Amino acid sequence: MASNTAELNIPVADPNDPYAIPAAMPSSADKEPRSFDVADFPTPTNKQEDWRYTPLDRIAEFFDVFKPSGETTLVISNVDGTPVDPKHVTVSQTRLGEGGSGTVSKPNDRASVVEWNSGHTATIIELKGELRQPVLIRVIGGGEDLDALHLTIVAADGTHGDVVVEHNGTARLAEGVEITTGKDSHVSATFIQEWDKGSKHVGNHRIHVGENASLRHSVVTLGGSVVRIRMDQDFGGPQGDLNMLGIYFVDPGEHIEHRTMVVHNHPECKSRVVYKGALDGKDAHSTWVGNALIAPTAPGTDSYELNRNLVLTPGAIADSEPNLEIENGNIIGAGHASSVGRFDDEELFYLQSRGIPETEARKLVVRGFFGELVEEIGVPSVAQHLMDVIDRRLARGEDAAMQAVLEDK
Amino acid sequence: MSTLEIKDLYASVETKEGRKQILKGVNLTVNSGETHAIMGPNGSGKSTLAYTLAGHPKYEVDSGEVLLDGVDILKQTPDERAKEGLFLAMQYPVEVPGVSMTNFLRTAKTEIDGKAPAIRTWTKELSEAMKRLRMDPKFATRSVNEGFSGGEKKRAEVLQLELLKPKFAILDETDSGLDVDALRIVSEGVNRAKEANDFGILMVTHYTRILKYIKPDIVHVFADGHFVKTGGPELADELEEHGYDAYLPEGADSESALA
Repeated sequence: MASNTAELNIPVADPNDPYAIPAAMPSSADKEPRSFDVADFPTPTNKQEDWRYTPLDRIAEFFDVFKPSGETTLVISNVDGTPVDPKHVTVSQTRLGEGGSGTVSKPNDRASVVEWNSGHTATIIELKGELRQPVLIRVIGGGEDLDALHLTIVAADGTHGDVVVEHNGTARLAEGVEITTGKDSHVSATFIQEWDKGSKHVGNHRIHVGENASLRHSVVTLGGSVVRIRMDQDFGGPQGDLNMLGIYFVDPGEHIEHRTMVVHNHPECKSRVVYKGALDGKDAHSTWVGNALIAPTAPGTDSYELNRNLVLTPGAIADSEPNLEIENGNIIGAGHASSVGRFDDEELFYLQSRGIPETEARKLVVRGFFGELVEEIGVPSVAQHLMDVIDRRLARGEDAAMQAVLEDK
Repeated sequence: MSTLEIKDLYASVETKEGRKQILKGVNLTVNSGETHAIMGPNGSGKSTLAYTLAGHPKYEVDSGEVLLDGVDILKQTPDERAKEGLFLAMQYPVEVPGVSMTNFLRTAKTEIDGKAPAIRTWTKELSEAMKRLRMDPKFATRSVNEGFSGGEKKRAEVLQLELLKPKFAILDETDSGLDVDALRIVSEGVNRAKEANDFGILMVTHYTRILKYIKPDIVHVFADGHFVKTGGPELADELEEHGYDAYLPEGADSESALA
């Protein structure tokens, strides 16, 4: 019997430019290059894996370099409205490509490279030390003219802090977000999309989690005609911990898409991706694609991803697609789960038979469905803020008495 | 003083073999403070009557009316019937994942009363009612009926009966699946709620054992979709003795198994 002594020759990527050699591209499900040059990305078609679920005709304006309207407003404060503490939080504006912007990987699809080439400035938010309360970044849409926004969040080594980014108003927004966290930092970043009807938002998050650092990345999308957010992540060293939570509520005719791309490129890192969505009404369309790649360089990986969809009324479509690529046999776990379920008629009857009208019954169930996830956030002020946002969404169109009950629960 | 009148009620259900008539001319009047036991063999339509009154979408009313203090509740949705004062304690209470008992009860109470209960008195009322039913306080934070044992689910139904204070309570085989101790606790709960709120009870049961704890004023025999005999408590004893054979259609196998 031949002994198996031949070493496997696995191409190792340069950590400073992991996508330089085609063989080390992050995933076979992700064939897009990494580049700042628009010409490197063809205009998307539904034949491309990354775009197969997206209604491309509704976001065609995001695929060619445009002149940004500059109408989007940014307001940065503590979550209670007081000014940020300059000892821990520094906010600055730079030209794109400076101040650390453009260093967390590179654009990875046509929309993100267009955002990079259309915008002019980046807003850099640097965090250090122990933040006493979460930083709130309010992004207020400036109407229906196309705009570009680039945010870079840099957490220094050892930072403990939370950032909440809220999107409101009406917008056509191409957004790039870079998050990089230092060694031993513990950071949460929460992104809330509460857009007015008719808004479009194409976002791209590029995330780098430091050695022995933890990042809780949460996305809550509750409104917008088309919202598509792609999130690519990797680790900067061993024992990183990434927790991605997502909540979405899709109304009739809306398309809400989240794509999480988790890359385990260092040993003994842990990742959890949990996305939950509720869909209500005709042609409500949600897409979740969760890619997880465990590279040969990542023994001891512990990863899990889950997506649950609750279809409240007939006529909605939920796409749910977990992709796992495991290139290392020496791991703790790599799991996934996905489901699309209907709101049960017997549950509805039970709640109704106790005096709760159908619309309230649905809200109660949706609130519970999301509440389990929000409880996991672990930062009380952020969790409370999220529950407020969800309750505001659920209370839409309610009479005052029921609003009060929903809001103080 | 309230009255629930069921007048010549016919209802059917869609089955694989087509539409099947189950209720065939039900007539009954129940007043506040009265306890009616509705007894009958398996498959006679007792539970269908209970669910039809509560408005389960599976059962279609073909004709007849049900008046609660003169209001025809058959035209109403299940939640409107509940607000009118009807309560159905189910044989198999449904699990609602993610919705805590506390939120559920408070929302139901708010809907039934038309206003949110005052927090302090409500919390006290809830915890005392749970204590009387020997329910672990932890139940309040758990999801509605999720992971509850059969006995716990029945206690939770009686808890709702006590808190929501209906005018009429339909108890659908509330005794099934209960051991002797649980049966006593649940029955005491029903009696306590009735004492406090003086509602009328329609108690659907297959067995006579619950009648030892919840004393009926009137006992009906329900067979083949309608009432076939009405009497006092002594009728239950007679059923205990002789079973339902006399009320089954000619040639039918007896399924009765009186305890």
